[in-house]
Amino acid sequence: MNIGRQLKEGLITQNPVLVQMLGLCSTMAITTSIMNGLGMGVSVLIILTASNVVISAIRKIVPDKIRIAMFIVVIAGFVTCVDLLLQAFVPAIAESLGVFIPLIVVNCIILGRAESFSYKNGVAGSFFDGIFQGLGYTLVLLAMCFIRELLGAGTLAGFRIIPEQFPIGVLTLPVGGFLVLGFLIAAMQWALSKSKEGK
Amino acid sequence: MSNDVKTKEKVHMDPQYIIKLTVTLLVTCMVVAAALGGVNAITADKIAATNWAKTVEAMKKVAPDATDFSDPLPITEDMTAAAGSVALDSVYEAQAGGQSVGYAIKVVASGSQGKIEMMVGVDGEGAVTGVSIVKNSETAGIGSKVMNNENTAKGVGVLSQFEGKTAADGALTVGSNVDAISGATVSTRGVTNGVSAALAVAGVMG
Repeated sequence: MNIGRQLKEGLITQNPVLVQMLGLCSTMAITTSIMNGLGMGVSVLIILTASNVVISAIRKIVPDKIRIAMFIVVIAGFVTCVDLLLQAFVPAIAESLGVFIPLIVVNCIILGRAESFSYKNGVAGSFFDGIFQGLGYTLVLLAMCFIRELLGAGTLAGFRIIPEQFPIGVLTLPVGGFLVLGFLIAAMQWALSKSKEGK
Repeated sequence: MSNDVKTKEKVHMDPQYIIKLTVTLLVTCMVVAAALGGVNAITADKIAATNWAKTVEAMKKVAPDATDFSDPLPITEDMTAAAGSVALDSVYEAQAGGQSVGYAIKVVASGSQGKIEMMVGVDGEGAVTGVSIVKNSETAGIGSKVMNNENTAKGVGVLSQFEGKTAADGALTVGSNVDAISGATVSTRGVTNGVSAALAVAGVMG
């Protein structure tokens, strides 16, 4: 497996959010502050990498017919671990992410990568796939958070940048999430088609 | 795969294969459950301690005279009935120097976007000593103003206005004896219901 190509796929050409369109719900729901985005991104990255490695390691003994059930058990195990650890050691992040941590179980990025990548590839490749896809997800979250927190709330990681009366409050509401995500997807598609034309 | 099921054909599954599926799934679940048990053993105490610290902090805010709080008191059917449509979560006795100075009552009211978990302090005379929001999902910039105790048009914090109210003041109603934050009437109403319920619960407890 070519690590450089995997990195490029995870971050750009096969970006889980902007190209594969996976995990959109959590992307819109939690990207209201940088700290939320970072907490969620890192949680997903860890769970994705861990479940990718385990699923890849057990792929030969998993009967084909019950593979989805097996994936979910493995993923749910890791998600619950991360949820408990967050609650115990970083309660502030656990509280602000709330139900979206347990919901990582059904985040389609993780099940999607299990099905399309780690079930067919070796442990090392799956490990890097988890890291790079997780990074791709985290970067999109951070971009969304940056735009929504800066323009919507006028702060960055809690520090006030824009005076209180100016921010566009609607950006922190769900509708703002749809708008920002739409613009990001459009920009990504434009950049991708542009680079294809160049070749 | 030799065991591929062809659609539209009758499914033939070798019993041995079915047993293999069951055992694989069972073993996986057991391994995962054991791992989770381990993680839970490490984190359970810490999570409980964090939650208790948060509860005490919320109780201190609503019962400023108290120095100590009891463990949760048993909740009777009368108390649940008194709370009406608002869910009664837990009741703690506020103490100062070993003497009871009132109750800290945690209730869950409904706001505009979901549940509002709130702590209400009631003193020995049945007057509200404070209201604080533990957890909510009200709209940022609108309902959140109520949650953050911003001032109403009369210049009093929307949560602070409940201080001193007793059951004798009659039913608390937004618009008559409770002021709402403009645009956040539903959130204010949710909080008001919570306070009324807490007063009713304190009334039942005597």
